[in-house]
Amino acid sequence: MATVTATAPDTRTFAGTAWSWITTVDHKRIAVLYLVTSLAFFMLGGLEALLMRLQLATPEADVVSAERFTELFTMHGTTMVFLALMPLSAAFFNLLVPLMIGARDVAFPRLNALSYWIYLFGGIFMNISFVAGGAPNAGWFGYAPLTDTAFEATHAIDFWAFGLQILGVSSILASINFIVTIINMRAPGMTLNRMPMFVWMSMITAFLIIFAFPAITIGLVLLIFDRYIETSFFIPEGGGDPVLWQHLFWVFGHPEVYILILPAMGIVSEILPTYSRKPLFGYAVVAYSGAAIALVGFGVWTHHMFTVGLGPIADTAFAISTMAIAVPTGVKIFNWIATLYGGSISFKSPMLFAVGMVSMFIIGGLSGVMLGSPPIDAQVQDTYFVVAHLHYVLFGGTVFGLFGGIYHWFPKFTGRFMHDGWGKVHWLLMLIGFNLTFLPQHMLGIDGMPRRVHTYAADMGFDLWNMMSTVGSLMIGFSFLIFIINALRSIRHGEPSGSDPWDGGTLEWTIPSPPPVYNFAHIPIVDSRYPAWDIKRGGGHTGAVATAPEADAEADEPDIHMPNPSYWPIVMAAGMVLAACGLIFHQAFILLGAVLFAISLIGWIEEPAG
Amino acid sequence: MHKARQSVTRADRDETRPIQGRRSTPLTRNRRIYAALLVPALALAVAACGVTPQTTLEPTTEAARTARDLLMFVFWAMVVTFVLVEGALLYCLIRFRRRSGDGIPAQTHGNTPLEIGWTIAPAILVVVIVVLTVPAIFSNARAASPDALQVRAIGHQWWFEFQYPDIGVVTANELHLPVGRDVEIQLESNDVLHSFWVPSLRGKLDMVPGRDNKFTIKPEVTGTFPGQCAEFCGTAHALMKFYVVVETQAEFTAWAETQRAERVPPASDLARQGEETLTLGGCVACHTIRGTDSAGILGPDLTHIGGRQHIAAGLLENTPENMRAWLSDPQGVKPGNTMVIPELTTEQLDALVAYMQGLK
Repeated sequence: MATVTATAPDTRTFAGTAWSWITTVDHKRIAVLYLVTSLAFFMLGGLEALLMRLQLATPEADVVSAERFTELFTMHGTTMVFLALMPLSAAFFNLLVPLMIGARDVAFPRLNALSYWIYLFGGIFMNISFVAGGAPNAGWFGYAPLTDTAFEATHAIDFWAFGLQILGVSSILASINFIVTIINMRAPGMTLNRMPMFVWMSMITAFLIIFAFPAITIGLVLLIFDRYIETSFFIPEGGGDPVLWQHLFWVFGHPEVYILILPAMGIVSEILPTYSRKPLFGYAVVAYSGAAIALVGFGVWTHHMFTVGLGPIADTAFAISTMAIAVPTGVKIFNWIATLYGGSISFKSPMLFAVGMVSMFIIGGLSGVMLGSPPIDAQVQDTYFVVAHLHYVLFGGTVFGLFGGIYHWFPKFTGRFMHDGWGKVHWLLMLIGFNLTFLPQHMLGIDGMPRRVHTYAADMGFDLWNMMSTVGSLMIGFSFLIFIINALRSIRHGEPSGSDPWDGGTLEWTIPSPPPVYNFAHIPIVDSRYPAWDIKRGGGHTGAVATAPEADAEADEPDIHMPNPSYWPIVMAAGMVLAACGLIFHQAFILLGAVLFAISLIGWIEEPAG
Repeated sequence: MHKARQSVTRADRDETRPIQGRRSTPLTRNRRIYAALLVPALALAVAACGVTPQTTLEPTTEAARTARDLLMFVFWAMVVTFVLVEGALLYCLIRFRRRSGDGIPAQTHGNTPLEIGWTIAPAILVVVIVVLTVPAIFSNARAASPDALQVRAIGHQWWFEFQYPDIGVVTANELHLPVGRDVEIQLESNDVLHSFWVPSLRGKLDMVPGRDNKFTIKPEVTGTFPGQCAEFCGTAHALMKFYVVVETQAEFTAWAETQRAERVPPASDLARQGEETLTLGGCVACHTIRGTDSAGILGPDLTHIGGRQHIAAGLLENTPENMRAWLSDPQGVKPGNTMVIPELTTEQLDALVAYMQGLK
């Protein structure tokens, strides 16, 4: 084990800087890696969406071919779910969980780095398919038997299946890490009942990932068997059942929706109190309702399958469980509004995004209740109505929430503000563009336009809604450019923010921005839900007394033991992904990958820990 | 004849205009919330109430009507909820915006009666919706009456095959049904998943290989109703369409009579040449034309192709020009489809088109 001084990277040279990032095990730097990578994939998924919108802007258009279109919607969905939004949430887990619970790092720093590198390589691996014989093209849901070799003989589906397996490893490792961190490394006095709501939602999300991913892992293993060794788990000719795939996929897939939305709900539950200067209303109920959503979320999956023909009994049961989810979701929304009630609300850009999240998510929730009724669903399932619904949840909810988080914690990452005016322009353009894109899609679905179609006839009455939708999507794209320019400029030229620009209540606002490697010179002692408010407003503010994490006046570099940087995580991740390449390109890669993996495993174990 | 039918349908649609007018109302109201942001869109929305032949809002059967009524009820319940909740949100945002000189506001942490209240409120709403939903689920799954017309609908990449086992008819992409009689439709698939969806008749049900899905409908209105595959099934998914022609029992009987017959023998020299081209062009390998050597089973039965309103799975109207375009470049018209045809000379094309058009 080394002291902080010994681990300080030599950042005077480019190589030294690069090496310090490659070998970093610091949760804050890993957060930055996650953030930058996920935004890059977000941009890629967005470009795929824009291409689709251009193709659909007018009837019978010829912007992209039918084959390309299937690749675009498959990779748009896969990219946004697995490569953009989940890792963007992971960026927040990484940055915030240790800071919010008063810890110096996560429980397993090298494992944390491994999660990131597996994610990065897995994402690249999947996208290589575009230039290596065709990208995945059976939809992000990959329904059998379209994924069988009889219908897709190229490696398109293999890229998808192995890619998802690789990303699943990354997600599960990260989740274990955060669960252990949250359970074991909270500062003294921070009971579960005093944890910031974001940490609560992070923990619930991590549990969701651990329980949901095994289902798709099994499904993908069986799919790969079907494709590689001619089993027929999903092939009716061989006695298999394509519907089995749907069950396995949605047992994972529906909790996945909550994996995507709960972190954003956590972020909003931090932002609303901060900018209203009031504690979160009904804290316990908000936490429990998050847990309830997660639990019930495992019992609703066949509402994605109401048109499969499972029969009226199954449809009724799952309609009821689906409707039941509306209750804890509604409770959350009411508690957020009650948090605002009686507050002193300031409309900085993070707050606008948080309010945008709440108001747009409401629409997604309400259209979800409509879809929960099987007779309605039978009409609008697999139409643009569902596209609209899911984007109100995952864009209106998740993306707005996560962007709010970026604006809110950017000063903590960098010590500088993002420009608030441009932030508001970004928000307004995105809000208008988003509604212009997705509100008309409800009408398209009700008027009978199926999803996943690369074209539509001119006499179907779909033209105008589609054109509006395309115009809206271009506005979203433009607003994202404003965000990127604002963010890049603000890193160097933003106004200095100081350590606590928003009058925050949680522990991360009690330390400098950007935080020192060791986060807390002294581990704070916590005795309320908003310890930073206690410190600023005097003890007793939340009915409890807090102890300030005093600045260490005696030493600039306190003697704190921090983990060593390590290059084994990146080597191990490379080994894993190379092995997957072997199953597609040449078997030699399997050997190479296995050797790298074995070496890195030994290196990892033998690495001096202290 | 086809044109005439088409125009009958158009007339039907015109009669249902009031429904379309009503439909624009919720949309308009919904938008008003965002009026400040979406004024131009509002104008467009009003202008957009054109003809939408595949809409779910113009049901012509009990099943489709049940779904539509449920949709409208839940929609309005959701609109009311939306207005109340977003209203509360906006009220709080405006009423409690920070003013200069604001101190720290009162620090409320919760209110148990309130929280219980707003747990119960959404619960009541969803219970109401469930209570209305469950009977609709079961009525949609009702069994057919014993004298129901039996139809097997088989999904293929990328076209629909329709078989009437009781009356010995096989056709493709155009489902004829008699009005006022129960029809039990058995859904099957020959390859991947497809979904049978004619919005004006009923919500969709998937065609799953190896699984027996069926549903019952009783068409109530004559006319031609568009349908489309609604489960992603590969490259040409968007171009896998079909039409349902609901006609009187007499018309249906006459149609079935025609369909059962062998092909109409070619009436001209040109058409006779066309029939010879079938072998030359390789058509026989995949298509059946009863009365000729053509007995393939991979593609649609073409015995009465000339009598259908559309070709290429509902994609093109059945005109000589379209038939010619299809035969000269099937991949250009419908990318990804599995039809293989050698390049034909102009004469061969002329002959083939003349022949096929004659297969009434």
